[in-house]
Amino acid sequence: MGDLTLMSLMIPPDISFTVLTAITIIGAIMALQAKELIYGAISLAISFIGIAGFFTLLDAPYLAMLQIAVYVGAVVVLILFTIMLVNREEGAKMEEQIDDPEGSMGLWLAGLLALAISGVVALVSASLPTEAPPANLPISDLGPALMSQYPVPLIVLALLLSASLLGALVLAKVER
Amino acid sequence: MVVFPPTTPAEVVALIVRIITSHTFITLVFFPGFIHLTLVVIFLTWYERKLLARIQLRIGPLYAGGPGGLLQPLADGVKLIFKEVMIPYKASKPLFLGIPVILVLLSALPFAVIPFGQHWVIANIDVGLVFIFAMTSLFPSMILLFAWASNSKYPFLGGLRSLFQQVAYEIPMWISTLSVVLMAGSLNLIQIVNAQEKMWFVVPAFLSCVVFFISIMAELERLPFDLPEAEPELVAGWYTEASGAIFMLIFMGLYMKLYLMSSLVTVLFLGGWWGPAFLPQPVWFIAKTLIVATLIIIPRGVYPRIRVDMLIKIGWTRLLVIALVNVFLTILLVNSGVMAAWGI
Repeated sequence: MGDLTLMSLMIPPDISFTVLTAITIIGAIMALQAKELIYGAISLAISFIGIAGFFTLLDAPYLAMLQIAVYVGAVVVLILFTIMLVNREEGAKMEEQIDDPEGSMGLWLAGLLALAISGVVALVSASLPTEAPPANLPISDLGPALMSQYPVPLIVLALLLSASLLGALVLAKVER
Repeated sequence: MVVFPPTTPAEVVALIVRIITSHTFITLVFFPGFIHLTLVVIFLTWYERKLLARIQLRIGPLYAGGPGGLLQPLADGVKLIFKEVMIPYKASKPLFLGIPVILVLLSALPFAVIPFGQHWVIANIDVGLVFIFAMTSLFPSMILLFAWASNSKYPFLGGLRSLFQQVAYEIPMWISTLSVVLMAGSLNLIQIVNAQEKMWFVVPAFLSCVVFFISIMAELERLPFDLPEAEPELVAGWYTEASGAIFMLIFMGLYMKLYLMSSLVTVLFLGGWWGPAFLPQPVWFIAKTLIVATLIIIPRGVYPRIRVDMLIKIGWTRLLVIALVNVFLTILLVNSGVMAAWGI
């Protein structure tokens, strides 16, 4: 007598994909539009949870858990911390700055970024593997794969992290 | 015969019976699931009051009936449900009412991966340990949001202290579990317990066990690390404004988290369900977990509170270093083959 398989009761992947997309995009838009910064941070957390759902849908539970632990757990905590330490008056000043017409510069930058990303995708998509990797790969393969197959991207990521660390240090020093 | 989707009444009944008798349903609702958790949480609230009373030469709950006032939590629960929920002036109502529910949910969800016996587990997933850390790392932000939503001075200070505390304890806690993961070679909690059949991990990873225990004391806001709810300074800390059913939900969440962290110590270091075979596996597991919970509760009646800067100093200069030393020791033990000789 085996266990009852609930596969037939499960939600089809198309519907979960649509729901997750809606959660992620609406969360991101709310994060930018929220009047109160706290609600913006909560919307950002909801958007991150949607991305964790995508990882689960793609059979990568480890990445999903780390997405929740690092982004929803740690990054949102940092953002909340910053919001709590900033005075309300300073926040109001920042809102005024957003209102001025030079804000359209952000739109141009976003367009450029979208163009760059689509260019990279167009260049790389020919060499991407067409078949899906086998499901339920053991997590213990992740470390060896990172160190042996993809050492260069790993080093580039490490450089990016140290660059952001140095940038944060420089910014903190200028403020003093 | 079970058919899906059912068409006749007999098939509907057969499907319902099949679902109720399935392992998933039984584990979810009865044993490691809701009913067991609720009973243990109710017991723990009584147990803590009674234990602290005995430490301080008091009697504790007595009049509510049962041996030693065992029905006291029931009376408290009925009282709290019928009390009015006071929402402070200009508080954020959705957050104030919603976050206690999320807190209970976050402390109940990790029990899905805790193995109470070889087969007494709801979800046997490969990343169980990371799942538990993902869920518990959301607590401080929820606490801060609840504190902010209360629109009051003392809760806000308590919430900020909770964030400071997370900075201090979280990294030593993650690193101290690393040596267990190295020895077991898996993040699956069932495989971690299976690897301890011959020897509990508390012996080869004693330093990690100590670091993990101290870190969960900070995670659970237990004395001497109960800064976010320091009673003499902050009234009741981050849940000062909680009342009635809201207070009951927060209380349930906190005690469920106490049970969760004690059972995590049992899984990682005390051999999980392993014990002499004359008692069933879950009995050994719950007995060990309650002993760990007792060890967590006792300092509340014994020690004074420490300051925030002291906690951060302990976390980063003592606990982190000791945990890293144990990780290196574990790598030496595993690579030199000593562990294989011990049967791990």
